[in-house]
Amino acid sequence: MVAQYSAIQTRQLTKVYPGFWKSQQVLALWQLNLQVLQGEIFGLLGPNGSGKTTTIKLLLGLINPTAGDALVMGQRAGDQNTRRRIGYLPEESYLYRFLNARQTLDFYARLFNMNRAQRRRAVDYYLDFVGLEPAVRGRRIGTYSKGQTRRVALAQALLNNPDLIIMDEPTSGLDPVGMLEIKGMIGRLKQAGKTVLLSSHQLADVEDVCDRLVILYRGQVELGGALADLLERREVFQLEARAVSPELQEKLIAVARGNGAQDIRTGRPRVRLEDLFKRLVDAKRQAEQPHV
Amino acid sequence: MPHASLSYVPVIADVLIGLLVLAFALLAFRDVARLRTGFSRAWAVGRITLAEAWNARIWAVPLLWFLICLILTFALVRSYGPGGEVRVDLTIFLRAQEILLLVYLGVLACLALPRERERRTLITTGSKPITRLELLLGKVMGLSAAALLMILVMMGATWGFMKVVDARIRHDAWVLYHLQKKNYDKMVRHLPPQAGLLYLARHGVLRAQNNITGRLRIAGYINYAVNPPIRALKGGSAETLYFEFPSLPATLRAPPLFVFHFGVRSFGKRRGPARIHVTLVQRSNPMNTEEKSLTLNAQGSAVWQPKKRFAFFSYVNPMTGRIYNPGPVVVKVASMTAGDYLFIANGRKPQDASCLAWNMDRTRTPGHTNFVAPKPDPIITGFKSNGKQEVVGPSYRHPGIPPEVASFEFRHLKRRQIPINKNGDFTVHLLVGVDKQMNEALPAKAQLLAYDVDNPQGRQRQVLRIDDKHITVVKLPASLLDGSSLVINLSSMIPGHWLKITPASVAIVRPPSPFILNLAKSELVVLCEVTLLIVIGVTAGTCLGWPVALLTTMVCYILGNIVAFVGKLSRQGGFGLLNYVQENRLKGVWYYQIGSLISAVMVKMLNMLVHLLPDFTRFDPLYFIVRSVNMPWTVAATDVFWTLACVLPTLALGYLLLRKQELA
Repeated sequence: MVAQYSAIQTRQLTKVYPGFWKSQQVLALWQLNLQVLQGEIFGLLGPNGSGKTTTIKLLLGLINPTAGDALVMGQRAGDQNTRRRIGYLPEESYLYRFLNARQTLDFYARLFNMNRAQRRRAVDYYLDFVGLEPAVRGRRIGTYSKGQTRRVALAQALLNNPDLIIMDEPTSGLDPVGMLEIKGMIGRLKQAGKTVLLSSHQLADVEDVCDRLVILYRGQVELGGALADLLERREVFQLEARAVSPELQEKLIAVARGNGAQDIRTGRPRVRLEDLFKRLVDAKRQAEQPHV
Repeated sequence: MPHASLSYVPVIADVLIGLLVLAFALLAFRDVARLRTGFSRAWAVGRITLAEAWNARIWAVPLLWFLICLILTFALVRSYGPGGEVRVDLTIFLRAQEILLLVYLGVLACLALPRERERRTLITTGSKPITRLELLLGKVMGLSAAALLMILVMMGATWGFMKVVDARIRHDAWVLYHLQKKNYDKMVRHLPPQAGLLYLARHGVLRAQNNITGRLRIAGYINYAVNPPIRALKGGSAETLYFEFPSLPATLRAPPLFVFHFGVRSFGKRRGPARIHVTLVQRSNPMNTEEKSLTLNAQGSAVWQPKKRFAFFSYVNPMTGRIYNPGPVVVKVASMTAGDYLFIANGRKPQDASCLAWNMDRTRTPGHTNFVAPKPDPIITGFKSNGKQEVVGPSYRHPGIPPEVASFEFRHLKRRQIPINKNGDFTVHLLVGVDKQMNEALPAKAQLLAYDVDNPQGRQRQVLRIDDKHITVVKLPASLLDGSSLVINLSSMIPGHWLKITPASVAIVRPPSPFILNLAKSELVVLCEVTLLIVIGVTAGTCLGWPVALLTTMVCYILGNIVAFVGKLSRQGGFGLLNYVQENRLKGVWYYQIGSLISAVMVKMLNMLVHLLPDFTRFDPLYFIVRSVNMPWTVAATDVFWTLACVLPTLALGYLLLRKQELA
C-alpha cells in the first residue's frame, strides 16, 4: 500500500477581515484544521459566506491569515516554488478580456518560464483538453460565452500540469453538458494521480466526484469525512433488479415483512435529468456531424 | 541668537531614502535573487500591460499629437526666418510630445495596479509563481516600453516633418540665391548674391553644432599693458558693474560698511571728481533696493554704510523667531562721469577686490576676518536691446574715447578636441548683429584681439568686415590654444556702429553631429522623465485607488517642478521671502502662536517633501536642440543616471508597500 501524504494541511487557520472599526470586522474563518491527502478529490462545501473562497485564497497566499498557518505540498502557503505545482480555477473567470484564448494561455505559460515550444504545445493541448472550439480560439475573450470563458479559465489552471488543482465553483455558469464534462475531467485528473480541492455549493457536483469533504458554516467546520461514510444510510436496504413481475414483487414484500422489515417502499427508479439531458444533446450533436 | 538653518532637513531626507533602500535590500533579497529567472515573468506582465495600453488605444496618441502639432505649427509659426521657424517647430513638436506622454502614461501608470485589482485579474496572476517585485517591475517595464514605442514613432514623425521643413527652406534659399545672382549678373541688383543663402541651400538648418562658446563679459576699455589685462568701467554709459556677495553673515548687528576702490583714468576733459552710483539689491527680492551716489576721493576710494539692516543682511522669521540669511546681495556700481574710466581690481586676492564689505559689528567673534569679499571677476553689462548686449564703436565727438569691448573667455580648452587645419589654424565663427546709428553707408568693421591669458602680449589682431546676422569666418593660429584659457575681444571700429552680441556670437568651430542623433538624445530625456513619472504612478497605485494615486502623482510632478521655489521658501525663513512681517501686537496672542507653529511645521514638511521628491526641472529636452547645439553625452548620461537614482528608491517603496498586500 502506498503511503499518502498531505497535499494541504491547515492548523488553526483563522481569517478576520478588518473593518474601519471593530464592529465592522468580519470573521471569515475560525480555527480551521484541514487535511487533504495527495491523490484525492476533496470537497469544500458550505452556503454563501461560509469561508470556502477565503480558505482557498489563504492556501494560495493571495491573502494573509490572521492566525494559524497552512502548508501546501509541504511548504508554507503562498511560497513561490509551491505555486509552480498548483493550478487555480477562480470562482469567476478573471481573465484579460482584450486577449484571445491563445494569448491568455501564452501569458500564463510565460509565468511558468516555459520556452516557446513548450508554450505552444501546452496551449494547444489544454485548449483541446477543455474542449474549446478551434474557431473561437483567436477571438477576444470579451466576446466569449460564459461557458467558453470558463473553459479557458480551466485550461489556465491546468497549464503547468499541476499536482494540486484548486477549483472554486468549477461548474458555475456552465450548461449541464459542460458540468458533466468538467466532472468527467475531474475524474480523469484523479486517475492521473492529481489532488483536487473542490469548493462548491452545488451539492450534486461534490457528491458525484469527491472522495472526502468538509461542510463549512460561518467559517467553522460543521461536518467532515469520507463521502461514502457520510451519505450511507446503514439502516436501509435497497434492491434493484430488471424483469420483476408484480407477483414477484408481492412475494418479496411479503418475505421482507415476514422477517421484520419496516417502512417498506417500492417503486420504479428514475434516471437523473442531467443524464437524460446529456444523452439528448449528445445524440443531437452526433446527428449534426457530417457523415464521411 | 543662534543662526538657524534647515540644513538638517536634507540630511533627514537622505537618511530616510537610505533606510528605505536598506529595508528593500534586507526584505527583498530573495525576490531580487529570483530575478535571474524572473525577468521573463516580469516581461510577461509587461507585455500584457503593453497590450492593455494598446487596447486602450494608445496608438491614437501619436496621431492626436501630430494633428495638434500641425495645427499649432500652422497657427503659430510666422516668418521668423529659417532658424526661428525650425526652433518654433521643434519646440511645438517636442513640448507637445512631452506633455501628452506625461499625461497619458501618468494616467495609465496610476491605473495599472488598481484596475487589475478591480477586475480581479490580479487574483489569477497572483496564483502563479510570480513575486510582487516581478509584478511591479512588469508594470513599469510594460508602460516604459509603451512610452519607448510612442517616442520612437513620434521621433520618426518629428524627424520627417523637420526634413520636409528643411527641404522647403533649402529650396527657397536656392531659388532666392539664383534670383539674386541673375539680377546681379543683369546689373538689376547692385549687391552680389548673399553667400549665406548658398550656405543655407547647401546645408539646411537642421544642425547639431558642437561649437565651443565662451563666457561673455563687457568692458569699457581693457588695459593690455599689465599682466593680466585689467578691465575698466566706462563713465557716463549704460555699463554697470555687479559685485555679488553670496553670503553676508546674518548675525551682523550693524549693516556692513562697503568700501570701494578704483583706479581712475580720464580720456577726456575732466569736469570734476569722479562719481559713482551704488545700488544694493537683494537677489531673492529685486524690488528690495537701497541706492546712493558717492564721490570718489583723489585715491579713487569711497565708503558707504546702507541704512537698511534687516532687509538685506538678516531676517527674523516671525514664526520661529530665528534669524535667517536672506541670501545673496548684489552691489551695482555705475560710473556717472562721462570720460572717466574706473579700472577694476582683478580680485586675485580677496582684499584687493574693488568692493569689500567690512563688518561693523562690535560684538564680532575675535580672530575672524573683518571683511567679506565679493565673488571674484565681477560682471559688467552694457547697453542691452532685445535681450542682446550691444557695444559701441569709437566716438567722433570724443575722439580719445576708446570703443567698448566684448570679451569672450574660453576656459579649459583641450587642443585635441579642436580641429586644426594643415596651416596650423583653427576656425572661429562670428555671428554678430550690426546696428548702424551713423555712417549707414559704411560697411561694419570689427577689431578682433585674441590672446592666451598666460601670454597677453603675444595677442593676434585682425580687422574683420562684419555682415549683419551672417557668419564671419576667422582663422586663428593654434598656438593660442597652448595656454590655460583663450580670450577673444571684439570691438566695433566704425563710429556710430553698435555690435549686437550674444554669448554664442563667437564660437570655436568643431564638426557638427547628426541632427537625428541630437533629436534622439532629446527624446531620451523625454523617456527618462516619462519613466520616472510612470514609476511614481505605479508605486502610488500599489496602495491607493486610481483617483488618489493620480492625485498623488500629479502633486509629485508639480512639486518636482517647483522644487527650487519651495526649497528657497523654507531656507530663507518661510513667508519672509514674500515680505511677510509679523505684527508686534499679535506676538503674544495664543492663537497666533499656534498658527505660527502650524505654518512653521508646514514649511518644514514642504522642505522635507521637496528633498524626498525627484526634481523634474532637471529634464529639459529642448534646451540644446532648439539652439541647434548638440547635447553632450555627459548631459544625456547624467539624466539617465539621475532617473535611475530616483527610480530605485521609488521602486523600493512600491515593493515594500506591495510586499504584504492582499491581492484578493
